Amino acid sequence: MNMSGLSFNALPPIDLPFRFFISAPLFIIACALLILFSGEALWLSRWQANMLALTHGFTLGFLTMVMMGALLQLLPVIGGIGLAKPRLMASTSHILYSAGVIALMLNFIFAENWLTISALILLSLGFGIYLCAIIWLLVKKISQSDAINGFRLALTSLVVVLLLGVLLLASRAGITMPFTLDKQFTNIHALFGLVGWAGILIISVSFQVLPMFHVAPNMPKYIRQYLSVSIFIFLLVYMVYAEFALGLIVISHGVFALTLFYVINQRKRKIDDTSIKYWQLAAATLLLLNVLYFLPDSFYRSADTPLFIALPDKTMLLTAIFIYFYLLSVIQAMLLKILPFLSYTHLQQRCLIDFSAMQFIPHMHEFLNKKQGLALYYLHILSGLSLLAVICEPSLYVFFAACLLLEFSWLLLLMIKCMHLYFTVSQKIHLSNKA
Amino acid sequence: MSSIPEYMTAKHRECDEVFCQAEAAVAERNWPLALTNWQCFASELTEHLAQEEEVLFPQFEQATGMTTGPTQVMRMEHQQMRALVQELDNALAAKAKDEYLGLAETLMVMMQQHNMKEEMMLYPMMAQHLSDGDQLIEGFKGSKVA
Repeated sequence: MNMSGLSFNALPPIDLPFRFFISAPLFIIACALLILFSGEALWLSRWQANMLALTHGFTLGFLTMVMMGALLQLLPVIGGIGLAKPRLMASTSHILYSAGVIALMLNFIFAENWLTISALILLSLGFGIYLCAIIWLLVKKISQSDAINGFRLALTSLVVVLLLGVLLLASRAGITMPFTLDKQFTNIHALFGLVGWAGILIISVSFQVLPMFHVAPNMPKYIRQYLSVSIFIFLLVYMVYAEFALGLIVISHGVFALTLFYVINQRKRKIDDTSIKYWQLAAATLLLLNVLYFLPDSFYRSADTPLFIALPDKTMLLTAIFIYFYLLSVIQAMLLKILPFLSYTHLQQRCLIDFSAMQFIPHMHEFLNKKQGLALYYLHILSGLSLLAVICEPSLYVFFAACLLLEFSWLLLLMIKCMHLYFTVSQKIHLSNKA
Repeated sequence: MSSIPEYMTAKHRECDEVFCQAEAAVAERNWPLALTNWQCFASELTEHLAQEEEVLFPQFEQATGMTTGPTQVMRMEHQQMRALVQELDNALAAKAKDEYLGLAETLMVMMQQHNMKEEMMLYPMMAQHLSDGDQLIEGFKGSKVA
Protein backbone atom coordinates (compact mmCIF):
# COMPACT_ATOMS: atom_id res chain seq x y z
CA MET A 1 0.00 0.00 0.00
CA ASN A 2 1.27 3.45 -0.88
CA MET A 3 1.90 5.23 2.41
CA SER A 4 3.84 8.12 0.94
CA GLY A 5 0.57 9.69 -0.22
CA LEU A 6 -0.07 10.83 3.30
CA SER A 7 3.20 12.62 3.59
CA PHE A 8 3.74 16.06 2.18
CA ASN A 9 7.23 15.27 1.02
CA ALA A 10 5.66 14.82 -2.40
CA LEU A 11 5.10 18.58 -2.76
CA PRO A 12 7.75 20.16 -4.98
CA PRO A 13 9.42 23.37 -3.68
CA ILE A 14 7.05 26.32 -4.03
CA ASP A 15 9.39 28.49 -6.11
CA LEU A 16 8.92 26.02 -8.98
CA PRO A 17 5.19 26.64 -9.60
CA PHE A 18 5.72 30.29 -8.64
CA ARG A 19 8.13 30.85 -11.53
CA PHE A 20 5.58 29.49 -14.01
CA PHE A 21 2.84 31.67 -12.51
CA ILE A 22 4.82 34.87 -12.46
CA SER A 23 6.00 34.47 -16.07
CA ALA A 24 2.42 34.15 -17.34
CA PRO A 25 1.16 37.76 -16.98
CA LEU A 26 4.42 39.01 -18.51
CA PHE A 27 3.43 37.31 -21.76
CA ILE A 28 0.06 39.08 -21.82
CA ILE A 29 1.76 42.38 -21.10
CA ALA A 30 3.97 41.64 -24.14
CA CYS A 31 0.80 40.83 -26.11
CA ALA A 32 -0.72 44.19 -25.10
CA LEU A 33 2.36 45.97 -26.47
CA LEU A 34 2.11 43.92 -29.67
CA ILE A 35 -1.54 45.00 -30.07
CA LEU A 36 -0.55 48.58 -29.48
CA PHE A 37 2.15 48.54 -32.17
CA SER A 38 0.28 46.39 -34.70
CA GLY A 39 -2.60 48.79 -35.25
CA GLU A 40 -5.99 48.03 -36.80
CA ALA A 41 -4.70 45.61 -39.43
CA LEU A 42 -4.14 42.96 -36.75
CA TRP A 43 -7.89 42.39 -36.43
CA LEU A 44 -8.65 41.75 -40.09
CA SER A 45 -8.05 37.99 -40.04
CA ARG A 46 -6.98 35.19 -37.73
CA TRP A 47 -4.27 34.33 -40.26
CA GLN A 48 -2.41 37.64 -39.82
CA ALA A 49 1.16 36.93 -38.71
CA ASN A 50 0.86 39.21 -35.68
CA MET A 51 -2.49 37.61 -34.78
CA LEU A 52 -0.77 34.22 -34.70
CA ALA A 53 1.85 35.72 -32.38
CA LEU A 54 -0.95 37.11 -30.22
CA THR A 55 -2.96 33.87 -29.97
CA HIS A 56 0.18 31.90 -29.06
CA GLY A 57 1.14 34.53 -26.49
CA PHE A 58 -2.24 34.04 -24.83
CA THR A 59 -2.50 30.27 -25.14
CA LEU A 60 1.10 29.21 -24.57
CA GLY A 61 2.53 32.22 -22.76
CA PHE A 62 -0.33 32.57 -20.30
CA LEU A 63 -2.77 29.65 -20.22
CA THR A 64 -0.37 26.77 -20.70
CA MET A 65 2.27 28.44 -18.53
CA VAL A 66 -0.14 28.65 -15.55
CA MET A 67 -1.48 25.15 -16.14
CA MET A 68 2.04 23.70 -16.25
CA GLY A 69 2.83 25.36 -12.93
CA ALA A 70 -0.44 24.27 -11.34
CA LEU A 71 -0.06 20.64 -12.46
CA LEU A 72 3.32 20.47 -10.73
CA GLN A 73 1.47 20.94 -7.44
CA LEU A 74 -1.88 19.39 -8.21
CA LEU A 75 -0.66 15.99 -9.30
CA PRO A 76 1.22 15.27 -6.06
CA VAL A 77 -1.75 16.50 -3.97
CA ILE A 78 -4.45 14.64 -5.91
CA GLY A 79 -2.39 11.67 -6.96
CA GLY A 80 -0.37 11.27 -3.79
CA ILE A 81 2.94 10.83 -5.58
CA GLY A 82 5.88 13.17 -6.16
CA LEU A 83 7.89 14.07 -9.25
CA ALA A 84 11.41 12.80 -9.72
CA LYS A 85 14.06 15.55 -9.56
CA PRO A 86 11.43 18.33 -9.53
CA ARG A 87 13.88 21.24 -9.37
CA LEU A 88 16.01 20.16 -12.30
CA MET A 89 12.99 19.22 -14.40
CA ALA A 90 10.87 22.29 -13.66
CA SER A 91 13.65 24.89 -13.93
CA THR A 92 15.02 23.48 -17.17
CA SER A 93 11.64 23.06 -18.83
CA HIS A 94 10.52 26.50 -17.64
CA ILE A 95 13.55 28.27 -19.15
CA LEU A 96 13.42 26.34 -22.43
CA TYR A 97 9.67 26.71 -22.70
CA SER A 98 9.63 30.46 -21.98
CA ALA A 99 12.42 31.06 -24.50
CA GLY A 100 10.52 28.85 -26.95
CA VAL A 101 7.30 30.85 -26.66
CA ILE A 102 9.22 34.11 -27.13
CA ALA A 103 10.98 32.67 -30.20
CA LEU A 104 7.64 31.42 -31.56
CA MET A 105 5.99 34.84 -31.19
CA LEU A 106 8.99 36.57 -32.77
CA ASN A 107 9.02 34.01 -35.59
CA PHE A 108 5.47 35.01 -36.51
CA ILE A 109 6.24 38.72 -36.30
CA PHE A 110 9.57 38.81 -38.14
CA ALA A 111 9.34 35.65 -40.28
CA GLU A 112 13.03 34.83 -39.87
CA ASN A 113 14.06 31.24 -40.49
CA TRP A 114 16.44 31.08 -37.52
CA LEU A 115 13.63 32.17 -35.19
CA THR A 116 11.37 29.43 -36.55
CA ILE A 117 14.04 26.81 -36.01
CA SER A 118 14.86 28.17 -32.53
CA ALA A 119 11.17 28.02 -31.58
CA LEU A 120 10.95 24.49 -32.92
CA ILE A 121 13.93 23.28 -30.90
CA LEU A 122 13.24 25.20 -27.67
CA LEU A 123 9.54 24.33 -27.50
CA SER A 124 10.15 20.67 -28.34
CA LEU A 125 12.76 20.45 -25.59
CA GLY A 126 10.83 22.51 -23.02
CA PHE A 127 7.57 20.66 -23.57
CA GLY A 128 9.42 17.37 -24.03
CA ILE A 129 11.16 17.46 -20.64
CA TYR A 130 8.01 18.58 -18.83
CA LEU A 131 5.75 16.06 -20.54
CA CYS A 132 8.13 13.15 -19.99
CA ALA A 133 8.21 13.90 -16.25
CA ILE A 134 4.43 14.26 -15.95
CA ILE A 135 3.65 11.28 -18.16
CA TRP A 136 6.09 9.18 -16.12
CA LEU A 137 4.04 10.17 -13.09
CA LEU A 138 0.71 9.37 -14.71
CA VAL A 139 1.87 6.02 -16.03
CA LYS A 140 3.36 5.05 -12.66
CA LYS A 141 0.97 3.96 -9.96
CA ILE A 142 -1.03 6.97 -9.00
CA SER A 143 -4.36 6.94 -7.20
CA GLN A 144 -7.19 6.66 -9.69
CA SER A 145 -9.81 9.35 -9.90
CA ASP A 146 -11.97 10.91 -12.58
CA ALA A 147 -9.81 14.02 -12.38
CA ILE A 148 -6.63 12.03 -13.01
CA ASN A 149 -8.22 10.28 -15.99
CA GLY A 150 -9.17 13.72 -17.36
CA PHE A 151 -5.58 14.90 -16.88
CA ARG A 152 -4.45 11.94 -18.99
CA LEU A 153 -6.77 12.96 -21.85
CA ALA A 154 -5.74 16.62 -21.56
CA LEU A 155 -2.06 15.71 -21.71
CA THR A 156 -2.67 13.38 -24.66
CA SER A 157 -4.30 16.34 -26.42
CA LEU A 158 -1.28 18.47 -25.59
CA VAL A 159 0.97 15.87 -27.20
CA VAL A 160 -1.22 16.02 -30.34
CA VAL A 161 -1.08 19.84 -30.34
CA LEU A 162 2.68 19.74 -29.96
CA LEU A 163 3.20 17.20 -32.75
CA LEU A 164 0.97 19.13 -35.16
CA GLY A 165 2.67 22.38 -34.12
CA VAL A 166 6.09 20.87 -34.79
CA LEU A 167 4.95 19.82 -38.29
CA LEU A 168 3.55 23.32 -38.98
CA LEU A 169 6.74 24.99 -37.81
CA ALA A 170 8.95 22.55 -39.73
CA SER A 171 6.96 23.28 -42.86
CA ARG A 172 7.32 27.01 -42.18
CA ALA A 173 11.07 26.52 -41.84
CA GLY A 174 11.10 25.10 -45.37
CA ILE A 175 11.15 21.37 -44.64
CA THR A 176 9.04 19.55 -47.25
CA MET A 177 6.16 17.48 -45.90
CA PRO A 178 4.81 14.34 -47.52
CA PHE A 179 1.27 15.76 -47.18
CA THR A 180 -0.41 19.16 -47.39
CA LEU A 181 -0.79 21.17 -44.20
CA ASP A 182 -4.02 22.97 -45.03
CA LYS A 183 -6.30 25.16 -42.92
CA GLN A 184 -8.15 22.12 -41.60
CA PHE A 185 -4.81 20.87 -40.26
CA THR A 186 -4.31 24.16 -38.41
CA ASN A 187 -7.90 23.99 -37.13
CA ILE A 188 -7.24 20.54 -35.65
CA HIS A 189 -4.08 21.93 -34.00
CA ALA A 190 -6.02 24.87 -32.52
CA LEU A 191 -9.04 22.84 -31.41
CA PHE A 192 -6.97 20.16 -29.69
CA GLY A 193 -5.17 22.97 -27.88
CA LEU A 194 -8.18 24.99 -26.78
CA VAL A 195 -10.72 22.23 -26.18
CA GLY A 196 -8.56 19.14 -25.63
CA TRP A 197 -5.67 20.46 -23.59
CA ALA A 198 -7.05 23.57 -21.86
CA GLY A 199 -10.75 22.62 -21.88
CA ILE A 200 -10.51 19.03 -20.62
CA LEU A 201 -7.96 20.06 -18.01
CA ILE A 202 -10.32 22.73 -16.68
CA ILE A 203 -13.23 20.29 -16.60
CA SER A 204 -11.12 17.77 -14.67
CA VAL A 205 -9.83 20.39 -12.26
CA SER A 206 -13.38 21.56 -11.57
CA PHE A 207 -14.25 18.06 -10.27
CA GLN A 208 -11.65 18.58 -7.58
CA VAL A 209 -11.63 22.27 -6.70
CA LEU A 210 -15.33 23.09 -6.50
CA PRO A 211 -16.05 20.53 -3.77
CA MET A 212 -12.79 21.34 -2.02
CA PHE A 213 -12.80 25.13 -1.87
CA HIS A 214 -16.52 25.79 -1.89
CA VAL A 215 -17.96 22.75 -0.11
CA ALA A 216 -20.02 21.96 -3.18
CA PRO A 217 -21.40 18.50 -3.98
CA ASN A 218 -19.48 16.31 -6.38
CA MET A 219 -20.37 16.66 -10.04
CA PRO A 220 -22.86 13.97 -11.09
CA LYS A 221 -21.14 10.64 -11.65
CA TYR A 222 -21.98 10.35 -15.35
CA ILE A 223 -20.51 13.83 -15.98
CA ARG A 224 -17.31 12.92 -14.14
CA GLN A 225 -16.97 9.63 -15.98
CA TYR A 226 -18.08 10.47 -19.49
CA LEU A 227 -17.80 14.21 -20.23
CA SER A 228 -14.03 14.46 -20.77
CA VAL A 229 -13.82 11.23 -22.72
CA SER A 230 -16.80 12.24 -24.92
CA ILE A 231 -15.18 15.56 -25.75
CA PHE A 232 -11.95 13.78 -26.57
CA ILE A 233 -13.79 11.37 -28.89
CA PHE A 234 -15.55 14.31 -30.60
CA LEU A 235 -12.13 15.88 -31.16
CA LEU A 236 -11.02 12.71 -32.92
CA VAL A 237 -14.24 12.69 -34.98
CA TYR A 238 -13.53 16.35 -35.87
CA MET A 239 -10.60 15.23 -38.01
CA VAL A 240 -13.06 13.50 -40.36
CA TYR A 241 -16.47 15.15 -39.85
CA ALA A 242 -15.52 18.65 -38.72
CA GLU A 243 -18.89 20.40 -38.76
CA PHE A 244 -20.77 17.55 -37.06
CA ALA A 245 -18.15 17.07 -34.33
CA LEU A 246 -17.82 20.78 -33.60
CA GLY A 247 -21.56 21.00 -32.90
CA LEU A 248 -21.26 18.11 -30.44
CA ILE A 249 -18.26 19.75 -28.75
CA VAL A 250 -20.21 22.98 -28.30
CA ILE A 251 -23.23 21.10 -26.88
CA SER A 252 -20.97 19.13 -24.49
CA HIS A 253 -19.71 22.40 -23.11
CA GLY A 254 -23.30 23.56 -22.71
CA VAL A 255 -23.96 20.46 -20.61
CA PHE A 256 -20.85 21.23 -18.55
CA ALA A 257 -22.10 24.80 -18.04
CA LEU A 258 -25.47 23.61 -16.73
CA THR A 259 -23.72 21.17 -14.40
CA LEU A 260 -21.47 23.97 -13.16
CA PHE A 261 -24.47 26.16 -12.40
CA TYR A 262 -26.15 23.28 -10.57
CA VAL A 263 -23.10 22.41 -8.47
CA ILE A 264 -22.32 26.06 -7.67
CA ASN A 265 -25.92 26.63 -6.66
CA GLN A 266 -25.83 23.59 -4.36
CA ARG A 267 -22.60 24.63 -2.61
CA LYS A 268 -22.75 24.95 1.14
CA ARG A 269 -20.28 27.85 1.36
CA LYS A 270 -22.40 30.77 0.28
CA ILE A 271 -20.21 33.68 1.30
CA ASP A 272 -19.12 36.14 -1.41
CA ASP A 273 -16.26 34.72 -3.34
CA THR A 274 -14.57 36.08 -6.46
CA SER A 275 -13.58 32.63 -7.70
CA ILE A 276 -17.24 31.64 -7.73
CA LYS A 277 -18.04 34.76 -9.75
CA TYR A 278 -15.39 33.71 -12.26
CA TRP A 279 -16.84 30.18 -12.50
CA GLN A 280 -20.32 31.60 -13.02
CA LEU A 281 -19.00 33.91 -15.72
CA ALA A 282 -17.29 30.92 -17.35
CA ALA A 283 -20.50 28.84 -17.27
CA ALA A 284 -22.61 31.71 -18.67
CA THR A 285 -20.02 32.11 -21.44
CA LEU A 286 -20.38 28.48 -22.47
CA LEU A 287 -24.16 28.88 -22.72
CA LEU A 288 -23.74 32.06 -24.76
CA LEU A 289 -21.37 30.19 -27.08
CA ASN A 290 -24.09 27.60 -27.69
CA VAL A 291 -26.46 30.38 -28.77
CA LEU A 292 -23.87 32.08 -30.97
CA TYR A 293 -22.71 28.84 -32.55
CA PHE A 294 -26.17 27.74 -33.58
CA LEU A 295 -27.27 31.16 -34.89
CA PRO A 296 -27.90 31.06 -38.67
CA ASP A 297 -25.01 32.32 -40.80
CA SER A 298 -27.08 35.31 -41.89
CA PHE A 299 -26.36 36.88 -38.48
CA TYR A 300 -22.66 37.07 -39.26
CA ARG A 301 -21.10 39.62 -41.60
CA SER A 302 -24.25 39.85 -43.60
CA ALA A 303 -26.22 42.78 -44.94
CA ASP A 304 -29.56 41.09 -44.17
CA THR A 305 -28.79 40.35 -40.52
CA PRO A 306 -31.88 40.32 -38.30
CA LEU A 307 -29.89 42.23 -35.68
CA PHE A 308 -29.27 45.96 -35.69
CA ILE A 309 -25.63 45.20 -36.46
CA ALA A 310 -24.06 42.22 -38.25
CA LEU A 311 -21.89 40.09 -35.99
CA PRO A 312 -18.19 39.92 -36.88
CA ASP A 313 -16.39 36.88 -38.27
CA LYS A 314 -17.90 33.87 -36.49
CA THR A 315 -14.71 31.88 -35.89
CA MET A 316 -12.83 34.85 -34.52
CA LEU A 317 -15.71 35.95 -32.31
CA LEU A 318 -16.37 32.49 -30.85
CA THR A 319 -12.69 31.73 -30.31
CA ALA A 320 -12.09 35.08 -28.62
CA ILE A 321 -15.06 34.57 -26.30
CA PHE A 322 -14.00 31.00 -25.49
CA ILE A 323 -10.44 32.02 -24.68
CA TYR A 324 -11.15 35.24 -22.84
CA PHE A 325 -14.40 34.69 -21.01
CA TYR A 326 -14.09 30.95 -20.44
CA LEU A 327 -10.47 29.75 -20.29
CA LEU A 328 -8.93 32.92 -18.87
CA SER A 329 -11.75 33.34 -16.35
CA VAL A 330 -11.29 29.86 -14.91
CA ILE A 331 -7.50 30.22 -14.85
CA GLN A 332 -7.84 33.46 -12.87
CA ALA A 333 -10.39 31.83 -10.54
CA MET A 334 -7.83 29.13 -9.92
CA LEU A 335 -4.97 31.55 -9.38
CA LEU A 336 -6.95 33.49 -6.77
CA LYS A 337 -7.33 30.26 -4.79
CA ILE A 338 -4.12 28.48 -5.54
CA LEU A 339 -1.69 31.34 -4.74
CA PRO A 340 -2.75 31.80 -1.09
CA PHE A 341 -3.49 28.08 -0.73
CA LEU A 342 -0.01 27.00 -1.84
CA SER A 343 1.69 29.71 0.18
CA TYR A 344 -0.19 28.72 3.30
CA THR A 345 0.12 24.96 2.82
CA HIS A 346 3.86 25.06 2.24
CA LEU A 347 4.44 27.19 5.34
CA GLN A 348 2.05 25.11 7.43
CA GLN A 349 3.87 21.91 6.52
CA ARG A 350 7.11 23.47 7.74
CA CYS A 351 5.47 24.07 11.12
CA LEU A 352 4.39 20.46 11.69
CA ILE A 353 7.53 19.81 13.68
CA ASP A 354 8.12 23.33 15.00
CA PHE A 355 4.57 24.08 16.12
CA SER A 356 5.47 27.41 17.73
CA ALA A 357 6.35 28.85 14.30
CA MET A 358 2.64 28.64 13.34
CA GLN A 359 2.25 32.09 14.87
CA PHE A 360 4.17 33.63 11.96
CA ILE A 361 1.83 32.34 9.23
CA PRO A 362 -0.67 34.89 7.96
CA HIS A 363 -4.18 33.76 7.06
CA MET A 364 -5.29 33.20 3.46
CA HIS A 365 -6.73 36.68 2.90
CA GLU A 366 -3.47 38.26 3.93
CA PHE A 367 -1.74 36.41 1.12
CA LEU A 368 -4.36 37.60 -1.33
CA ASN A 369 -6.65 40.41 -0.31
CA LYS A 370 -10.29 39.71 -1.19
CA LYS A 371 -11.08 43.20 -2.43
CA GLN A 372 -8.00 43.21 -4.62
CA GLY A 373 -9.07 39.86 -6.06
CA LEU A 374 -12.50 41.30 -6.80
CA ALA A 375 -10.88 44.27 -8.56
CA LEU A 376 -9.10 41.78 -10.85
CA TYR A 377 -12.49 40.28 -11.76
CA TYR A 378 -13.91 43.65 -12.76
CA LEU A 379 -10.77 44.48 -14.74
CA HIS A 380 -11.17 41.11 -16.49
CA ILE A 381 -14.75 41.88 -17.50
CA LEU A 382 -13.72 45.33 -18.71
CA SER A 383 -10.91 44.01 -20.88
CA GLY A 384 -13.16 41.17 -22.13
CA LEU A 385 -15.73 43.72 -23.27
CA SER A 386 -13.01 45.80 -24.88
CA LEU A 387 -11.90 42.68 -26.78
CA LEU A 388 -15.42 42.25 -28.15
CA ALA A 389 -15.42 45.92 -29.08
CA VAL A 390 -12.14 45.67 -30.96
CA ILE A 391 -13.34 42.62 -32.92
CA CYS A 392 -16.38 44.62 -34.07
CA GLU A 393 -14.47 47.88 -34.52
CA PRO A 394 -10.69 47.38 -34.99
CA SER A 395 -9.94 51.07 -34.49
CA LEU A 396 -10.57 50.54 -30.75
CA TYR A 397 -7.36 48.52 -30.41
CA VAL A 398 -5.69 51.09 -28.12
CA PHE A 399 -8.56 50.71 -25.63
CA PHE A 400 -8.16 46.92 -25.58
CA ALA A 401 -4.38 47.11 -25.21
CA ALA A 402 -4.73 49.57 -22.30
CA CYS A 403 -7.26 47.31 -20.54
CA LEU A 404 -5.00 44.30 -20.98
CA LEU A 405 -2.03 46.19 -19.60
CA LEU A 406 -4.04 47.28 -16.60
CA GLU A 407 -5.54 43.86 -15.83
CA PHE A 408 -2.37 41.83 -16.15
CA SER A 409 -0.12 44.35 -14.42
CA TRP A 410 -2.59 44.13 -11.55
CA LEU A 411 -2.46 40.33 -11.60
CA LEU A 412 1.34 40.48 -11.64
CA LEU A 413 1.29 42.83 -8.67
CA LEU A 414 -1.03 40.51 -6.70
CA MET A 415 1.31 37.60 -7.41
CA ILE A 416 4.39 39.55 -6.36
CA LYS A 417 2.72 40.64 -3.12
CA CYS A 418 1.70 37.08 -2.29
CA MET A 419 5.11 35.65 -3.06
CA HIS A 420 6.89 38.41 -1.18
CA LEU A 421 4.83 37.67 1.93
CA TYR A 422 5.54 33.97 1.53
CA PHE A 423 9.30 34.47 1.44
CA THR A 424 9.24 36.94 4.35
CA VAL A 425 7.36 34.47 6.56
CA SER A 426 9.45 31.60 5.31
CA GLN A 427 12.54 33.42 6.53
CA LYS A 428 10.96 33.94 9.97
CA ILE A 429 10.13 30.24 10.23
CA HIS A 430 13.63 29.38 9.14
CA LEU A 431 15.08 31.51 11.93
CA SER A 432 12.64 30.03 14.42
CA ASN A 433 13.63 26.49 13.39
CA LYS A 434 17.28 27.34 13.90
CA ALA A 435 16.68 28.95 17.30
CA MET B 1 -24.12 -0.80 10.63
CA SER B 2 -21.73 1.63 8.96
CA SER B 3 -18.05 1.26 8.18
CA ILE B 4 -15.20 3.53 9.33
CA PRO B 5 -14.83 5.34 5.96
CA GLU B 6 -18.59 5.82 5.66
CA TYR B 7 -19.20 7.14 9.17
CA MET B 8 -16.10 9.30 9.52
CA THR B 9 -16.55 10.83 6.04
CA ALA B 10 -20.16 11.68 6.89
CA LYS B 11 -18.85 13.41 10.04
CA HIS B 12 -16.50 15.51 7.90
CA ARG B 13 -19.47 16.65 5.83
CA GLU B 14 -21.50 17.51 8.95
CA CYS B 15 -18.61 19.59 10.28
CA ASP B 16 -18.28 21.37 6.91
CA GLU B 17 -21.95 22.21 6.89
CA VAL B 18 -22.13 23.80 10.32
CA PHE B 19 -18.79 25.52 9.71
CA CYS B 20 -20.22 27.15 6.56
CA GLN B 21 -23.30 28.26 8.49
CA ALA B 22 -21.12 29.99 11.08
CA GLU B 23 -19.06 31.62 8.35
CA ALA B 24 -22.17 32.87 6.54
CA ALA B 25 -23.55 34.31 9.78
CA VAL B 26 -20.30 36.20 10.42
CA ALA B 27 -20.36 37.55 6.85
CA GLU B 28 -23.80 38.96 7.64
CA ARG B 29 -22.62 40.21 11.04
CA ASN B 30 -25.29 38.07 12.70
CA TRP B 31 -23.12 37.52 15.80
CA PRO B 32 -25.57 35.54 17.99
CA LEU B 33 -26.27 33.05 15.18
CA ALA B 34 -22.56 32.93 14.34
CA LEU B 35 -21.72 32.05 17.94
CA THR B 36 -24.32 29.28 18.12
CA ASN B 37 -23.15 27.71 14.86
CA TRP B 38 -19.50 28.15 15.71
CA GLN B 39 -19.88 26.46 19.09
CA CYS B 40 -21.75 23.64 17.44
CA PHE B 41 -18.91 23.23 14.94
CA ALA B 42 -16.24 23.40 17.61
CA SER B 43 -17.86 20.68 19.70
CA GLU B 44 -18.43 18.45 16.62
CA LEU B 45 -14.78 18.91 15.68
CA THR B 46 -13.53 18.20 19.18
CA GLU B 47 -15.55 15.00 19.32
CA HIS B 48 -14.40 13.89 15.87
CA LEU B 49 -10.72 14.50 16.64
CA ALA B 50 -11.03 12.68 19.94
CA GLN B 51 -12.61 9.66 18.22
CA GLU B 52 -9.61 9.55 15.93
CA GLU B 53 -6.85 10.27 18.43
CA GLU B 54 -8.18 8.26 21.35
CA VAL B 55 -9.70 5.27 19.58
CA LEU B 56 -9.05 4.83 15.87
CA PHE B 57 -5.41 5.93 15.64
CA PRO B 58 -4.19 3.85 18.60
CA GLN B 59 -6.06 0.80 17.30
CA PHE B 60 -4.59 1.31 13.85
CA GLU B 61 -1.10 1.81 15.22
CA GLN B 62 -1.45 -1.37 17.25
CA ALA B 63 -2.76 -3.37 14.31
CA THR B 64 -0.09 -2.22 11.85
CA GLY B 65 2.82 -1.42 14.14
CA MET B 66 3.11 2.00 12.45
CA THR B 67 3.39 4.69 15.09
CA THR B 68 5.44 7.23 13.16
CA GLY B 69 3.58 7.09 9.89
CA PRO B 70 0.36 8.69 8.67
CA THR B 71 -1.32 8.86 12.08
CA GLN B 72 1.52 10.98 13.40
CA VAL B 73 1.14 13.46 10.55
CA MET B 74 -2.61 13.56 11.16
CA ARG B 75 -2.10 14.24 14.87
CA MET B 76 0.24 17.13 14.08
CA GLU B 77 -2.29 18.57 11.66
CA HIS B 78 -5.00 18.24 14.32
CA GLN B 79 -2.82 20.31 16.62
CA GLN B 80 -2.53 23.00 13.95
CA MET B 81 -6.29 22.93 13.39
CA ARG B 82 -6.88 23.40 17.11
CA ALA B 83 -4.59 26.44 17.05
CA LEU B 84 -6.64 27.95 14.22
CA VAL B 85 -9.87 27.17 16.06
CA GLN B 86 -8.47 29.09 19.03
CA GLU B 87 -7.69 32.08 16.81
CA LEU B 88 -11.17 31.92 15.33
CA ASP B 89 -12.62 31.87 18.85
CA ASN B 90 -10.74 35.08 19.58
CA ALA B 91 -11.80 36.74 16.33
CA LEU B 92 -15.43 35.86 17.01
CA ALA B 93 -15.24 37.18 20.56
CA ALA B 94 -13.79 40.45 19.23
CA LYS B 95 -16.41 40.53 16.42
CA ALA B 96 -13.54 41.02 13.99
CA LYS B 97 -15.32 40.09 10.76
CA ASP B 98 -12.45 40.31 8.26
CA GLU B 99 -10.03 38.54 10.57
CA TYR B 100 -12.59 35.77 11.18
CA LEU B 101 -13.30 35.31 7.45
CA GLY B 102 -9.58 35.17 6.62
CA LEU B 103 -8.97 32.58 9.32
CA ALA B 104 -12.11 30.68 8.31
CA GLU B 105 -10.90 30.39 4.71
CA THR B 106 -7.58 29.13 6.06
CA LEU B 107 -9.09 26.52 8.36
CA MET B 108 -11.43 25.46 5.58
CA VAL B 109 -8.66 24.66 3.10
CA MET B 110 -6.59 23.03 5.81
CA MET B 111 -9.50 20.80 6.79
CA GLN B 112 -10.33 19.95 3.19
CA GLN B 113 -6.77 18.86 2.47
CA HIS B 114 -6.61 16.96 5.73
CA ASN B 115 -9.97 15.29 5.09
CA MET B 116 -8.96 14.32 1.58
CA LYS B 117 -5.94 12.49 2.92
CA GLU B 118 -7.97 10.71 5.58
CA GLU B 119 -10.80 9.81 3.22
CA MET B 120 -8.64 8.69 0.34
CA MET B 121 -5.92 6.90 2.27
CA LEU B 122 -6.22 6.52 6.00
CA TYR B 123 -9.85 5.44 6.47
CA PRO B 124 -9.68 2.78 3.74
CA MET B 125 -6.47 1.50 5.35
CA MET B 126 -8.21 1.40 8.72
CA ALA B 127 -11.14 -0.49 7.27
CA GLN B 128 -8.65 -2.99 5.92
CA HIS B 129 -6.65 -3.47 9.13
CA LEU B 130 -9.23 -3.10 11.90
CA SER B 131 -11.41 -6.17 11.98
CA ASP B 132 -13.67 -4.67 14.65
CA GLY B 133 -14.09 -1.34 12.80
CA ASP B 134 -17.86 -1.59 12.55
CA GLN B 135 -18.20 -2.22 16.29
CA LEU B 136 -15.99 0.79 17.04
CA ILE B 137 -18.31 2.95 14.94
CA GLU B 138 -21.34 1.56 16.73
CA GLY B 139 -19.59 2.56 19.95
CA PHE B 140 -19.18 6.13 18.64
CA LYS B 141 -22.84 6.27 17.80
CA GLY B 142 -23.83 5.02 21.24
CA SER B 143 -21.67 7.28 23.36
CA LYS B 144 -19.74 10.51 23.15
CA VAL B 145 -16.02 9.91 23.50
CA ALA B 146 -15.07 13.51 24.08
